[in-house]
Amino acid sequence: MLQILIQGLVLSGFYALIAVGFTLIFSVGRVLNLAYGSFLMLGGYIYYQGAQVVGLPKFPSLIIAGIAGAVFGMLVYRILVKRLSGNVVAVEIATLILAVVVQAAVVLVFSPSPKSMWPLVPGVLRIGDASVTYNIFIAAVISWILLGGLFLFTGMTHMGRAIRAVSMDSKGAVISGIDPERVNILTWAISGTFGAIAGVFLATYTQLDPNMWVTPLIIAVAVVIVGGIGSILGSLVAAHIIGMLETITTSLIAAELRGVATMLIIIAVLLVAPRGLFGKSEL
Amino acid sequence: MNSNLRRGIYGWIAFAAIMVILPHVVGTGVTRSFVFAMYLAIFAVSWDIMSGRTGYISFGHPFLIGIGGYTTALLTYHLHWPLFLSIPTAVVMTMIGGTLFFFPALRIRGTYFALVTLAFMELIYGLVQVIAPKVTGGTRGLSGLETIVTGAIPNYYLALVVLLILGFTMWLVIRTHIGTALSAVGMDEDAVRASGINVTRLKLFAFMLSAFAAGLGGALYVHYLGSIAPRALFDVGFLFQILVACLLGGAGTISGPIAGAFFLTFLLEWLRPYFPGPERFLIYGAVALILYVYQPNGLHELVRNGLKRLNQLKLSRDTS
Repeated sequence: MLQILIQGLVLSGFYALIAVGFTLIFSVGRVLNLAYGSFLMLGGYIYYQGAQVVGLPKFPSLIIAGIAGAVFGMLVYRILVKRLSGNVVAVEIATLILAVVVQAAVVLVFSPSPKSMWPLVPGVLRIGDASVTYNIFIAAVISWILLGGLFLFTGMTHMGRAIRAVSMDSKGAVISGIDPERVNILTWAISGTFGAIAGVFLATYTQLDPNMWVTPLIIAVAVVIVGGIGSILGSLVAAHIIGMLETITTSLIAAELRGVATMLIIIAVLLVAPRGLFGKSEL
Repeated sequence: MNSNLRRGIYGWIAFAAIMVILPHVVGTGVTRSFVFAMYLAIFAVSWDIMSGRTGYISFGHPFLIGIGGYTTALLTYHLHWPLFLSIPTAVVMTMIGGTLFFFPALRIRGTYFALVTLAFMELIYGLVQVIAPKVTGGTRGLSGLETIVTGAIPNYYLALVVLLILGFTMWLVIRTHIGTALSAVGMDEDAVRASGINVTRLKLFAFMLSAFAAGLGGALYVHYLGSIAPRALFDVGFLFQILVACLLGGAGTISGPIAGAFFLTFLLEWLRPYFPGPERFLIYGAVALILYVYQPNGLHELVRNGLKRLNQLKLSRDTS
């Protein structure tokens, strides 16, 4: 019981990071980034290249992956999303096509075979008679640090408040002298960083392969649907619901049914409360 | 009969004539590529009638195609049903599956709808492997299924007949008031409802027509391949091909998605000798992305703009 609780909490922290990176873009730009899974995949592969091929220390490699994610996020916004701005469906479809293109590029550069990753920190943490690997525990801790940082940033700094203003009412924000362009590009950079770092964790938790972008995209979508699109608080709550539920299904019923439980919850929430728990808008 | 409709029908006749002659002109390899292109075109047409105009973007079409495919595969493989019974059953099962799509569409639209249909696809992908893997063949699927006809050319004509009937019927449907109403649903559903049209019945009609085509196409495709596997059907890559064929061709036009399916298949074939390795898929995806970002309304729009410019040129020459 304690084992399930701890495992669930740790997994949820990590899912929260995945989901917040995804929903941030919607809440500011009102578009869904279906290439978000590619941010995670690129983060994982860059970290792999740095730490396991070139031989850099682990934490600098993690930071490099984060920076690369930010750059990639800004490029996607500048090259693709901005050009299609105003056409929500076109952005979704273009980013979905981009995700497939990135997958093909990763196959080309790193070969299609899966790669196993060394844990960030080896060993197992014991709490009472429960145990979690240090790797996933550290992932959860860093996730919470990043989420806390985002909370402070959007609450305390001028730029962070500008992000919140645009997410509430972009026209009003423009009238008050906020440059939506800068806010958008910053959001894509933050989303890219969160995605890339979450990707490193996901890769050390499972494995690295060119198809790995689908699972986190579905997790992010699930969390965001349950929590409500565009709501950060909703994402945090929903990440815990889904993380706990997955841990319960995996450990008590069958490991293969992990995704099935999540899908059923998405469908149920959409039918009962289409806006999710804390959603502010309907698409 | 107005001139637009007449020109369109001439177009269909020309298309049919060319397609009938084609296998006698090109080799077997190209004929097989055409068979694949035609099945992709059937799936694209099915997607187009549900999503092209209404704005109910389906990311789960492989789910419908897979229901059709699995139903007939299981019935013929385990129960030895004859094909003339198993294929209609597969179509009916797919239409029942289509109502599963329809219920969410009563409440949600746009992105939410797209994501739920994606969830359906992932759900069935997980279930097929876990529940009764002995019956469904699990991850590896089933092979050695009965084929309807053998050889490239008979399969070509079978696919052609199905594509022409389905494509032409749907092309006619979107030219009636139903097509106009479907476009209106995509623009403002509440306004359509307010003008006294039964939107629910209209959507149900489009969804059932789409499921019919997806089920028939899926069942025939599985019997063409002779095998079925979850990752070949319930896959983002497969969804990608259907979506891109529709969008590059021009969603909502029926003829556009058919052109898009042929274009995509032959783009991949044409790249094969130059790029035999995995870089082919990168270039293929990149071409799709660039074309889409350049003209989100697809080839159909490009051709129409070209024709319009030609007409303007003619007009200006006539007046001067």
